[in-house]
Amino acid sequence: MYSPRSEASLAQSCTLQRQEKRLQKELVALIKEPPPGVVIDGESVGQSLDLLVLSINGAQGTIYEGEQFQLQFRFGPKYPFDSPEVVFIGTEIPVHPHVYSNGHICLSILTDDWSPALSIFSVCVSIISMLSSCKEKKRPPDDSMYVKTCSKNPKKTKWWYHDEEV
Amino acid sequence: MAVDEESDTSPRNSTGGENTENKRNEGRGEEERAFECNICLDTAKDAVISMCGHLFCWPCLHQWLETRPNRQSCPVCKAAISRDKVIPLYGRGGSKEDPREKLPPRPQGQRTEPENTGAFSNFGFDGGFQMSFGIGAFPFGLFASTFNFGDPVIRGHGAHGTNPANLEDERFLSQLFLWVAILFIFWLLVA
Repeated sequence: MYSPRSEASLAQSCTLQRQEKRLQKELVALIKEPPPGVVIDGESVGQSLDLLVLSINGAQGTIYEGEQFQLQFRFGPKYPFDSPEVVFIGTEIPVHPHVYSNGHICLSILTDDWSPALSIFSVCVSIISMLSSCKEKKRPPDDSMYVKTCSKNPKKTKWWYHDEEV
Repeated sequence: MAVDEESDTSPRNSTGGENTENKRNEGRGEEERAFECNICLDTAKDAVISMCGHLFCWPCLHQWLETRPNRQSCPVCKAAISRDKVIPLYGRGGSKEDPREKLPPRPQGQRTEPENTGAFSNFGFDGGFQMSFGIGAFPFGLFASTFNFGDPVIRGHGAHGTNPANLEDERFLSQLFLWVAILFIFWLLVA
């Protein structure tokens, strides 16, 4: 007998399982071999599957050399079909034209250009590369305005991606 | 600790020496990784391949296509991609069914046209005659009307279709209304 409700919930639990499995695989690979400049506290990882905090070291030879930042990932139930919410947290927020002083990052792969083939690893690499290519430490021009008016969740911001250089 | 580091290897580790097993598993892992779905990172099930050559489980790819129905692109290289432009992969063994047929998990909505045995189908054949015309831009219809002579449902077949008087009547009426319509259009143009 066909019962649509049970089938739907079964499908849902299957996708949940698949998504959980993918996150686990990502975390295992990340702990084993993190991208250069990324430090992961193996203890804190896995305490909760929907939150991940890792440290990013400013790359050598760049203006952020010697600095360390905390990057927080939050994974929604639709991950990896929906992008993770990624922000800098803590007191050290990189001074960068695409990073607001509240930690929000203007990076297209975190919203519009997200693809499920991207991963925690590739997001880290993108952010490190974004920092590394910066020549001058400055905040985005609309920083004070944005920080006052934005939502807590950067994914609710309607970002304009216009600067291809940094 | 929710991370399950040995999910892949645990069943094998229970037998044989650990070192050799681990090595073998690593080698096997490298080999199998080439056949992992680019979305769930697991060995592709119900595998399909895009025109750009990227491998996915059909359920994974389907879910991605549903996520962005207006901008369907390959998750790996952003090339255009669609349901009809992926190729199912059939290895030895396994199901020979097209994976795309098994899913979509969501049943499609169905609608069929109502059966049309009434007035419109027998226009000009067995006595039913109708004509409709309307002028004007929606929603300000100036003139719209339907003339329907002879109800074919009530009339039987045969008798009326061959009745010459009836046919002539109808021809007359149709011409009359045609002229009314032409006059009306003319009047509209002139006025």
